[in-house]
Amino acid sequence: MSDLYLSHVRKWFWKSPPAEWLMRGARDVLIGTLKQGPIPKHVAFEMDGNRRFAKNHKIETIEGHHLGFEALARVLEICYKCGVKVVTVYAFSIENFNRPRGEVKGLMAMAKVKLEQLVQHGELLDRYGACIRVLGERDLIPDDVLPFVDRAVEMTKHNKDAVLNICFPYTSRAEMTSAIKATIDEFTSPSQPSKPPFSQSRITQKIRSNYSKQTESLDSIRETSSDASARSDVDDSMSSTTALDPESPPLQAATAKHRRFPNAENITVDTINSHTYTAECPPLDIFIRTSNVTRLSDFMLWQCHENTHIFFLQCFWPEFDLWHFVPVLLEWQWRHKKMLEKESPRK
Amino acid sequence: MSFTAKDTKIYREDEKSGHSKLGAEEREELVKNYLPAPSSRQRSSSRVKKQDSYRFGIRRFLKAQFYTLLYLFIHAIFSLYIRIRVAYRAVSNRLVAILKHHYNSPEYIARDVATLKKLPEHLSIILTLENGGKGDALEKLVNEVSEVAAWCAAAGIPKLSVYEKTGILKRYMTQTHRSVCHRLKIWFGKHQAPPLALFARGAPAIRSHSRQGLDLILISEDDGREAMVDLTRVLTEMVQKDKITAEDITMDVLDNELSEAVMSEPDLLISFEPYVDLQGYPPWAIRLTEIHCAPDNQGVGYQLFLQALRKYAQATFKLGK
Repeated sequence: MSDLYLSHVRKWFWKSPPAEWLMRGARDVLIGTLKQGPIPKHVAFEMDGNRRFAKNHKIETIEGHHLGFEALARVLEICYKCGVKVVTVYAFSIENFNRPRGEVKGLMAMAKVKLEQLVQHGELLDRYGACIRVLGERDLIPDDVLPFVDRAVEMTKHNKDAVLNICFPYTSRAEMTSAIKATIDEFTSPSQPSKPPFSQSRITQKIRSNYSKQTESLDSIRETSSDASARSDVDDSMSSTTALDPESPPLQAATAKHRRFPNAENITVDTINSHTYTAECPPLDIFIRTSNVTRLSDFMLWQCHENTHIFFLQCFWPEFDLWHFVPVLLEWQWRHKKMLEKESPRK
Repeated sequence: MSFTAKDTKIYREDEKSGHSKLGAEEREELVKNYLPAPSSRQRSSSRVKKQDSYRFGIRRFLKAQFYTLLYLFIHAIFSLYIRIRVAYRAVSNRLVAILKHHYNSPEYIARDVATLKKLPEHLSIILTLENGGKGDALEKLVNEVSEVAAWCAAAGIPKLSVYEKTGILKRYMTQTHRSVCHRLKIWFGKHQAPPLALFARGAPAIRSHSRQGLDLILISEDDGREAMVDLTRVLTEMVQKDKITAEDITMDVLDNELSEAVMSEPDLLISFEPYVDLQGYPPWAIRLTEIHCAPDNQGVGYQLFLQALRKYAQATFKLGK
């Protein structure tokens, strides 16, 4: 009985205005302090544990997700106040469509309502200077949610201070597949990637035409001019004009293939990287997964590659707050310092 | 948002009622106190500028000094805490390692894992070449590989993949094979030793016997992103030569090719580093892999291996559900 009484008193104390005012002050001081050190540029959160939290607290699953959203709002505020440039959150996996239909529906309704509210408060959003991007398989977003997604993205496009990446229907393997496909598309479209400033064929053509004007003996050249249309030289940016020009003789016999592609050997890691969803973002510095699951679960596989510090935390996502984030940030800063120390004597 | 209790209550009630209680303006009113000040770009009047220059004075300076001091103080405390933590864990790990040593006996390890509900089919470990490969670093690395291979053989794990960033082991495959075989013979006896098959991408496999035994796969940084680049090149050439169309390329095709050429998805990954550092580990393969790493751990140890197996046995896999 006394235990229950004590917990009530404790609750009452923390909820009293002076205590709340103090806590807010303490948070601000802490954030201001941490800002003095190095700050990660890109942080990813895998928001896990909403349902287990709901189960432990005997509330409905969707309630857990709502509390998870509140946690997300908290985390975003902390991150942007600290100066993190890009925050990536895993909102919905493609595999999540396998969950009970009611839950998926509830989640989609939540996404819709939140995005709708977001759109209503456009000018307030600008104060954070954050732009929203939705990463993932666009085709899988339900039709009634899609317009809100597009509007939210459109409305915040001009903000440059910070980025919020929402991965919504996303899996990392799908991302890598689409990046590889886009790379292949890039290298199999017979384009002229860079027009050389000077065209060899144009020069030769000019010389030839000068020559032909001088001699005025066109007949011998005209015999071969029918071949001109078959010629296709990538280097030749004037090919259509030359083909139309009856005066122009062919430069070489057109034995080359009809299409010439960029060399596949030129594909590098950077090429594929430029086709991933996070191409414009700085490399991932911190990856945080809550609820004590130590797997990446198809999130940011490509990005976690190197120099990403992965943290698996015990707490459930709805509980996540500044007090969980500070140790992570402190440890990251500490390791950062150690790494710099290690590197400096070598130089 | 560090909402006050009163505002949180209002927000949650609105949420429960299906967002009918509060209109757009009321909601704006609710969050107004928590918003940051309008950004400086929007303020342009001279009055504001004057205020800014006033603020730049002593108060701001003192505040910056205060934050810097507090930062140094917090980091000093944290540094002390980490050092104590590392020392404590090192001592306790050492003690446990001595008390529960496996005495190089397969029976001992088999007894340790007998109580586990499930074992990984494919175990992966990340090892580091120390000092950039100088001195006896390579010898130490081979020694670690043989040690873990022996544990796996004793525990009954049929597949082990070893990630080492530089890929130096791939250059000494025959030597590695000989060394690991030698270790297995010491552990199991000359005739009971399980046969060893050694694989690496783009190199012929080395088998000691046609019988099924322990598969050891060597992987390095080249099998990560670079392998995916290589695959993309091959696919690009195939599309260019009209052997396949771009639409044929699906996740399934890539998965099949990468798991055949590099390796299949491991069930459990053990990092013997003080913190999780993938160092360029193949990104495709690590999708659902359980990652185990003991904070502040130093070096390859049997206790960590056993701990990881225990944790894997308890983990539940539900893939999105």
